[in-house]
Amino acid sequence: MTWELFIFLFLAASALISALLVVRAREIIHGVVALATCFIAVACMYIMLNAEFVAIVQILVYVGAIVVVILFGIMLTKREIMESGD
Amino acid sequence: MNLFQFCNGIIVWLVELVNNLWYWLGDVLPWYFGDFFTGIGDFAGSHGHIVVMTIVLESLMVIIVALINVLNFIWLDRKLSGRIFDFYGPYYVGYRIGGWLQNLADGMKLFVKEIIVPAKADKLGFLLAPVIFVGSSFLILATIPLSPNFGIATNESGEFVTAGVLFAFAAFAIAPFSILLAGWSSNNKFTLIGGMRSAAQMMSYEIPLLLTVASVVLLAGSFSFVGIVDAQHDIWFAIPLFIGLVVFLVCIAAEVEVTPFDLPEAEAELVEGWTTEYSGMRFGLFMMTSYLRGYAGGALATALFLGGWQGPSLIPDEIWFLIKAYTVFVVIEWMRWSLPRVRVDQILELGWKRLLPLAVLNLLIAATFKTMGWFSG
Repeated sequence: MTWELFIFLFLAASALISALLVVRAREIIHGVVALATCFIAVACMYIMLNAEFVAIVQILVYVGAIVVVILFGIMLTKREIMESGD
Repeated sequence: MNLFQFCNGIIVWLVELVNNLWYWLGDVLPWYFGDFFTGIGDFAGSHGHIVVMTIVLESLMVIIVALINVLNFIWLDRKLSGRIFDFYGPYYVGYRIGGWLQNLADGMKLFVKEIIVPAKADKLGFLLAPVIFVGSSFLILATIPLSPNFGIATNESGEFVTAGVLFAFAAFAIAPFSILLAGWSSNNKFTLIGGMRSAAQMMSYEIPLLLTVASVVLLAGSFSFVGIVDAQHDIWFAIPLFIGLVVFLVCIAAEVEVTPFDLPEAEAELVEGWTTEYSGMRFGLFMMTSYLRGYAGGALATALFLGGWQGPSLIPDEIWFLIKAYTVFVVIEWMRWSLPRVRVDQILELGWKRLLPLAVLNLLIAATFKTMGWFSG
């Protein structure tokens, strides 16, 4: 097993697990953190494919816009409803 | 000799030194253990191991340079505020070296303090926010070279990565996420309001910032720091793009939250803004990193507008770069200690109605120069 394959498997596993956490998280903000992790793992995969520009734009646009997702998450959801739902 | 070759030399020397021990053990010990230690020596001497350790050493050197600069910046900040505000404490502290060790004393004090986590805080976010903030801020410095020979974003022969400027600003863009996370997870109204203000401010000031960077990139015709600095060989971009420099400095001041724009931690309105609930070294990390971002902002302004490491060759390139970065920082600090805070309902107006048109005008000027063919890049 070469190192490249090992790093790729690590990145793929973290992207998949964090993508799963996005939909499974109880707290909406935890889901958003997992979403950012997923985007960064995908950006690292672009770097492995020698597509640095796409990777940087992925971080600049998607991870930078995570803040807006958090804002919507805080302002448009009620925590009491989510806590009583479990 | 560039930084990679220098670090490579150190690592090769160290590996040879330690390999003497492994091979000696391999000779002395009986057959099974001997083979084991010889194997360790062979692995340590392999090319891949040496390259990885060289990169680790390079990163360490950049971090050390950044931390020494941060100590100097805090010292400079205290001295300037003492001078401008007539603060007796910072002005008279210290004996022979002017109070430079005060920062170390503050750091020690923060290290031994207890880290208090609020009972109703969100533990994951509370732990993760300082990590993301510090990590992304060090990431900014990874691509900024102090000179063509002192930078870590290179390959083995010293060629720089082609999209370094974009990467630095992408790393800049991660910080509001961690700030908002810190504000939300502290479970406190003041921190949440501070985080909200910070998110609104940073998101809206990033657009004029990136537009001015776009004008510089347009004139230079390159995304890499070396290309941009080489394009300023005849004339610094601060002269044709003076509006851009002013917009850039204002936006950097807003991004690193120094006083005319320190609404997210306005100590007269919100207790300490989004860092209210943090204590001990976690707060210390936030404070240190804000100065680190000030250093990064100064370094970016130097590389993009003030000619980078170019200057009379009497002084080494790296020192020229640092002198210019310190000058930019002093200007930002001067602004910080002499201007009142912008009111919260005016901050977005300033960003969207004043700075954005100026940035677009600056981009038009750059496009005009480029079309006239005055700058060939």
